[in-house]
Order: sequence, then C-alpha cells, then structure tokens
Amino acid sequence: MTTTTDTALSIVDLSDLSDLDLSTVELEVLAEARWPGADPSAQPAPLPGFVSSSFAPLIAQAADDCLSQVHGSAPAPAERGDRTAVVVVSVRGDLGTSTAVAAAVDAGKRMPPILFFQSVVNSAAGRVAVTWGLRGPVVCTSPVADPVADAVAVADLLIADEAADEVLLVLVEQGAEEARALLLGRAAAPLTGTAPTSTALTGTAPTGTASTGAAPTNEQRSSQ
Amino acid sequence: MAEAGGVGGAGVVVTGVAAVAGTGWDLAALGARTAAGEPAFTPVTRFDAGRYRTDLAAQLPGDPVLADELVSIVGTACEQAGLGAAERAVSPLLVAVHGDPAVARLPESERTGPGAIAASIARRSGLGPAPRAYMTACVAASTAVADAAAMISHGRAHRVVVAAGYLVEQDNFALFDAGRSLAPDGHVRPFSAGRQGMLLGDGIAAVVLESAEEAARRGAAPLARIAGWGRAGDAFHITQPDPEGGGMTRAVTAALRKAGRVPADIGYINAHGTGTAQSDVAETAALHRALGADAARIPVSSSKSVHGHTLQAGGLVELAVTVHAVRTGRLPVNAGYVGPDERCGLNLVLDRPVEREVDYALTLNSAFGGANTALVVARV
Repeated sequence: MTTTTDTALSIVDLSDLSDLDLSTVELEVLAEARWPGADPSAQPAPLPGFVSSSFAPLIAQAADDCLSQVHGSAPAPAERGDRTAVVVVSVRGDLGTSTAVAAAVDAGKRMPPILFFQSVVNSAAGRVAVTWGLRGPVVCTSPVADPVADAVAVADLLIADEAADEVLLVLVEQGAEEARALLLGRAAAPLTGTAPTSTALTGTAPTGTASTGAAPTNEQRSSQ
Repeated sequence: MAEAGGVGGAGVVVTGVAAVAGTGWDLAALGARTAAGEPAFTPVTRFDAGRYRTDLAAQLPGDPVLADELVSIVGTACEQAGLGAAERAVSPLLVAVHGDPAVARLPESERTGPGAIAASIARRSGLGPAPRAYMTACVAASTAVADAAAMISHGRAHRVVVAAGYLVEQDNFALFDAGRSLAPDGHVRPFSAGRQGMLLGDGIAAVVLESAEEAARRGAAPLARIAGWGRAGDAFHITQPDPEGGGMTRAVTAALRKAGRVPADIGYINAHGTGTAQSDVAETAALHRALGADAARIPVSSSKSVHGHTLQAGGLVELAVTVHAVRTGRLPVNAGYVGPDERCGLNLVLDRPVEREVDYALTLNSAFGGANTALVVARV
C-alpha cells in the first residue's frame, strides 16, 4: 500500500508548551507531571511488555507521576477510576515501534510477537488504565494544530458529554523524549472571566481553576 | 457508569453515508454481500504473503492510495448529503487512521503523524479544519463518531464529517500474523465453534452527521439517526478483553441510556465479532450482562465475516453496514458459522438474512487497551 501526506512536518517540543489555556472550558487541573523533570537526562523506567521504543515508558512514567499525586499508590479508588478516561495525544505517534516493525518487514525477519501487542497507542493507554483501574473511555489522537489546545478540547468534550468525570491526559512526543500528564476534572464552580484564580497554565504548577464559557472551543470555532 | 444520564443524540442524524470494502463493493453492494453472507477474501496481491499463517484478505482492486480513497469517499458522502462548497468549508472533519507505512520508513526527523493525513484529507475535500486524527486502534472510527455526535448534541458543531480508512499492507499483516490472530483456515467464523481468528480487509468509509435542525433547514433527508453512544474501558489487560465484558457492558448500557432506550427496543446488533477465541466470548458475556434476557432474542451478526477486520476503519464500515441493514430491513448473515459454541449463546443470523423492520440497532467495537464503544442507530 502507498499513502500520501503533504502536510508540513510538525515536531512538538513539550517543554515549550507554555500555553495551556483552560479559560474556554469548564475544567480544572487536579494534578500535573512532566517527564523528564529537573534532570533532562533522566530516562523513564523500563516498562515490562514493551520494547524497542520509549513511547509507552514515557506515557507510563508521566501518568504514574501525575496520578500518584492524587491517588497515592495504584489503583485509584473504584468510584473515581470507573469515571476516569485515559486520553493519549501525540502528533507523530509511536515512532520507535513503527520503526522496529518496518525494519523487521523490510529485512524479511520474523516479526517479534511483542511488537504486535504494542503496535497501537491503545496498548500504552491500556497499560495506564490497567495499573490505575481507570475504566472510562480510552481515546488516542494525533492533533493537527495546537496539540495542547486540541487535547484539552477532547477532554472537555468527554466530560461535557458525561462520558467521564475526570480525564487523564497524556501528551507525548518522541524525539524530544518528553511526556506531560494532567489529570483534569470538571471545574468546581463557574467563574467569571475576571476571576483572579483564572488558570492559564504557563508551564508551572496549576494555580487554580477557570471557566468562562465565553470563548469558543475548537469545535465551536470550526462549526458553522 | 461510563456515561451517566443525558438524553443526547435525539437530534443527530446521518445525511450522507458511503463505504467501499470487500473486493471493491460500494455500500449497496457491501450491504447486499453482508446480507447474503458472501465473504470477500482472496489471496493477497500487494505483497508476498506466502510466509504467513494465511495469505487471504479482503482487498479492493489493485494498490489504492489511502489518502486518495479517503478523499473520494468523503466526496461521495458529502454529495449524498447535498453539501455545497460553502457548507463543506465550515464542516469539520474527524478522521480515523493508523498511520502511513511509507512514513514509517522515513528518517525520524522527517516523519509526520496520522494528524497530517487528516489535515490533507480536509484540505483536499474542501472541508473545514480537521482538528485531529483518531488512532485508537479498532475503536478509532467509532470513537470519532461518538465525538462527532457529542459535538453536535452539545451545540459545538452543526455538522461533522467523519472518515476512516485502512488498506491491507504488510506491516500490519505481519504483526497480526506474529500475534497469531489470523485465521489459518481462511475463514472468519465469529461466535462459531472452530473459529480460528480474523482476516484483514480494506475498508474506506465516510458519514455526514448533523443536527436534525440543520438537516431540516437545508432540506436534507436523514438516512438514519445516531440515537446513542457509549464508551468505556476494561482496565483488565493491555491486549486481552475482560472475560466478563466489563467495559463493553458499560458502553452498551451508556449508549442505551443516552438513546433513552431499553434492551427490548433493540432489533439488531452488528457485533465486533472478530472470530478470535477470547474476544467473541467476552463480547457475548457483555451482551448478556447489558441486555439481560433480550440478549438471547436480538439477531446478532458480525459483518467482519464478510469484509474482514478493517482495523481503524472498522467502526465506520460497520456503522455503514448497520445503517444499510436498518434502512433495508435485511439483517446481515454471520458467515463462516459451522456450529454452536456454548460460550457464545447468541441469536446469530445464519444461512440467510433476517427480513425485519428494525427501529433501533447496536453496532459495537472493541480494541487493544480495553477500549469499547457502542453506537445506537435509529431508523428514520
């Protein structure tokens, strides 16, 4: 099969994501974690069942660091886990696994079965869901424009549609070898646009909540 | 529950639906072949499949280009919906695809992701922005449909176009072979004794979803209604389904609740039904848990037995088959069946299509990661 794409290369540096803006949605950040943290040379812990790629280990590391702030050790309490979605967002997806698969095919080698089980992003998302007992929807996307804004739009829709009460959002990009995890929940109470606790996250720890509902979401902007 | 309360979906209608699968069948032919239970599997011609457990797949003729096929099918669906250029330009596009094997062979610094495919399809189709591609494996397309329906029901869009595609290629063929998921006997036998696995298939599909009010304003005739949608995770295993069908149970229950329906209202189920040993048993368990006594009554089939597993496109191809079945009153046959499996006690459609008017149907999908989706399709 041949396929064609003609969109310019987009590489995301998650360390540069200083524009997480929740002012247009009724969400609040319950916890946040980044990988790597203070030590940029740190490597995520190896993840049993996953090989040849840092993709799933990055997701698991960021997710564990984020969720442990809220739940302590795994799993999450059942009443919250049942209503928590897992959303994994990556512009380019799992580069390492697709490279390993292509190499095996092109070399005429026997495909390692383990690559089958990690061949879709769902597997990494599912690893987090299994570990933490998260039984809400599992969604994996590759955003086109602003990854953070679109990821927040996906999470906002899940909560607005009552598919989940909380969303574990993990943004991950190989190359930069970075992952960022946020646990988002419904904002406690609507605030006005001038509220001093308005949160436009600036790459630091969350400072509060925000909800104006005044500005359109991505979907609203793109609708007729 | 996965999705609590709500009566969303009352106003989400399908005004365009198109699909290409099997050996090049359009939706009318696909509907006829699935109703008759005539499988499309032939030896793979795009690469040497002689080294694998099977060399069979359901393929469109030749070596089509995924992006070109997606642009074509989006055009067909938009034309059926009667969308002019101005209406297309403000209609966002959600796309479900896995990726591009050619891109996987580029240096990492030059690679794009599935979102780049979505952006390209939107631009070439004259549609509004494609915010993202869904790469949620075998529930990618059904997840996109659920999001589109949610966007419409919550007033975030009047209209959304959803497209999905998968074309059989060697990377995934080799992966599924390595995972021992392909049926060495060359037959897909969902819920049947002696089932040995799945076969892959090409699938390209698109739907136009819009609010009932917007369709009425344009004078567009609804073809069906997306009455409900639900999704939930198993949190059981990275790749194996929960044998008790926990996530699917909650997805079906949530979809019914959103549709304001009860199991007695459901007249047909297009099951995920891959033909693999564990998955079919888990899905059966979920249907009995979610539907109670009605699980033994409702006609069930997996059209994968005819068009194969179209992976990321499966949710949309099977939605198209379900819409066709509801509109024609001919419920597809569960092909490949050779005898009962006591762990798969369902009212399978066997031998010939069931001729019956159906007001509400379910179409179900599951994926790695324990992801499950359920859509309720209503006849209009």
